[in-house]
Amino acid sequence: MIKVYKAKSIITMNPSLPRTEAVAVRDSLILETGSLDSMKPWLENNDYEIDEQFRDSIIVPGLIDPHLHPSMAAVLLPTFFITAMEWRFPWGDTPATTSPEDYDKRLKEALTNPTHKDIFITWGHHDLWHGPMSRSRLNKIESNKPIVVWNRSFHELCMNDGALDYLGITEDDVKGASQIDFERGRFFELGLGYAVQKLNPYILDPEIFKEGLLKLKEVVHFGGQTTIADMAVGLFNFDNEFDTQLELYENEDNPFRVELIAHATALIQYAGGSNLEAEKLIAKLPERNTHKLNFRKRVKLFTDGAFFAQVAQLMEPGYIDGHEGEWLSTPEQFEEVARIYWNQGYAIHVHVTGDLGLELALDTLEKLQFEKPRFNHGFTLEHFGLSTPEQVYRLSKLGANVSANAYYVHELSDLYANHTVGSERASSMSRIGSCFREGVTTGLHSDFTMAPAQPLMSMWVAVNRVNEKGNVMSPEERITPQQGLEAITINAARILGLDHEIGTVRAGKKADFTVLNKDPLEIDPMEIKDIEIIATVFEGKVFPINKK
Amino acid sequence: MIPLTIISGYLGSGKTTLINQLLREAKNPIGVLVNDFGDLQVDAKLIENKDSLTLSLTNGCVCCNLNEDLGSSLEQMKEKDVEAVVIEASGVALPIKLANYGLTWPGYSLSGILSVVQGESLINLLSDKFVSKTVRAQIEQADQILLNRFQDKDKEILSRLNADYITEKEVKSYWDLIFEEITPVNCFTEQELDQHSTFQSSVLSTDKVINRNRLERYLIKNSSIERAKGWIRDEGGKTWLLQMNKSECNFSISSYETNTRLVFIHTQDLDLNSLDPIYS
Repeated sequence: MIKVYKAKSIITMNPSLPRTEAVAVRDSLILETGSLDSMKPWLENNDYEIDEQFRDSIIVPGLIDPHLHPSMAAVLLPTFFITAMEWRFPWGDTPATTSPEDYDKRLKEALTNPTHKDIFITWGHHDLWHGPMSRSRLNKIESNKPIVVWNRSFHELCMNDGALDYLGITEDDVKGASQIDFERGRFFELGLGYAVQKLNPYILDPEIFKEGLLKLKEVVHFGGQTTIADMAVGLFNFDNEFDTQLELYENEDNPFRVELIAHATALIQYAGGSNLEAEKLIAKLPERNTHKLNFRKRVKLFTDGAFFAQVAQLMEPGYIDGHEGEWLSTPEQFEEVARIYWNQGYAIHVHVTGDLGLELALDTLEKLQFEKPRFNHGFTLEHFGLSTPEQVYRLSKLGANVSANAYYVHELSDLYANHTVGSERASSMSRIGSCFREGVTTGLHSDFTMAPAQPLMSMWVAVNRVNEKGNVMSPEERITPQQGLEAITINAARILGLDHEIGTVRAGKKADFTVLNKDPLEIDPMEIKDIEIIATVFEGKVFPINKK
Repeated sequence: MIPLTIISGYLGSGKTTLINQLLREAKNPIGVLVNDFGDLQVDAKLIENKDSLTLSLTNGCVCCNLNEDLGSSLEQMKEKDVEAVVIEASGVALPIKLANYGLTWPGYSLSGILSVVQGESLINLLSDKFVSKTVRAQIEQADQILLNRFQDKDKEILSRLNADYITEKEVKSYWDLIFEEITPVNCFTEQELDQHSTFQSSVLSTDKVINRNRLERYLIKNSSIERAKGWIRDEGGKTWLLQMNKSECNFSISSYETNTRLVFIHTQDLDLNSLDPIYS
């Protein structure tokens, strides 16, 4: 049976046939896209059905997020969100809570449902909006039932009497610890580590972890994604991460596939102690592949520290306050590991955040190219926080891809301009326009939970470069809506090596579609993030999105 | 309170050798935490573990690694009867960050940061495109600096860094004593043999060039050698990183320019003169 979906317009992203109005699907594959008239030869001798449910909608290729972290999401999503910014979720929007009074009121109302067994954990508190948090403030709301307030930054949390009792943390235990304020119930930086260690049995509880992954499933569907990539399997516990995703995502009802990329250093211990053993293990991971969960010949490496935590490695003139970035391994070790995987023919995905971190990745790639030249090798620079135009030129010549987190521009560029690296460099973070001009295969990702898992949001930032203060940052680095849509469809597919199967609407590809209420290439670019996603189609099966 | 000491220093500066020496000389059990990426397992195994407790860690900040490896290892150490805990920082760690654990982790107090600086590679590292600032910070954040393979000209460079070298700031109590015993400028000897341990280690440092194939054959033939690690320079002037264990011998080209420097872990006495055939 052939099913023909009619749409107001289909944006195919296939340059040879960019716009159509119908697409014929058999089982999981696209037979043809065009008009009802043009696909007659297919229909004449076969049973078919015309489906009109999307006749007033726009169909685009199924959206792809080539870099997020399901296990991080599984930890965060079970907490109760009370946040200064609005967060949109399939189970309902989290409204903006912007005053201390409203914060306390929201917290009090929510307390009746503990999030983690007996403990209530909320995430999103921000001093600037919600006022300083303390044990006494929480005790006034509730002193017996355990409450943990986790800061938006992740770097601090606060407990009430109930939580300290429940977790068995006494004044004697933490005496003299400089980053724990027992009187005020506050644990920050390394003191946070102490608290997290006590909370781990609850945060990483297998049942709650599953609940988190199930919530992520809804989030991914809600964002219109039909393919995601877990860009560091092994972050917490390789077996647990893989087994739980297998249990929850490998079924008929799951509306997306998951590409799994192993975290090379995290697997060293698991594999037996050396990089060579890790490579042998990673080479065998595809034996575990199922229909929806797949390992390929890909691996994840890291150069420098996290962008949000301001420990990216920067070239001169560095950070305004003179602090240093961090390396995650020595350059020698990075090169050694990269060589192992390069010589075995892997596509290497490298976490790079600062321009010096990027420079190390490029120097290494240049050496490896000299030693063993490869083409279409899939070496991908992930995140791409700060860069220089010269680096963009160079990475283009070396054949690298870029998978950028555009959301940095939105959330961090104002802060970075005023406090961290100055306006010139902050304006050009996520230098995506230059990448397109140099012909680099450039995709966009969320790195969820770092940014919302909504590709249209990533596209909106890359197209408009408007930060949270409403300022346009380096308009020259904006991309066109057409390029923005490429970045979350065909380019993201190329970055994952799946462009032969997904990323455009054309004969022979998987029938993966995202159905929108507005045309992202025609509307005011500032409205792209507000486009409503009506449904997704995954391998020919329709998954409507129910508004709650 | 358990005293916590951070031993910092760039890759190849001699941290592991120093820790082995500490372990040998300690009267009571010492806990050792190895904080390294990449070669971590190799480094952890290089540390001779007698009565002391050695745990290896992975890196990462608590907000992206909720396992909080270091914290949970410190908790585990509390359960054991250790006199002190030493953290071997990774080659790129900023020691001050690890030192914060000594200041803030319940049950611990910070003894200090000891950085091992290797004279032969110092000049190159301080002008290295990627790690010059890291190496500088490791020196500047130290309470005490241990100079390894230093010549007078290297000291001059160090003094220009505004660093106090050789015990200026005091490393407290217990550790002070131990360090006083081993503060001689060169902590490596050409040959380090510990008769009390099943495993011995030897260091080969030479400016002669080495033939890779001959070295490989030598390592395979000598059944006493359990592990070997380090750099060699070959006839073509290339530097190779060697990692050898019982099951395999692996060379990879290294951008780190150095003379040959190899650490051998072996079960029977190793006569360094027997290595003659490996020279080119």
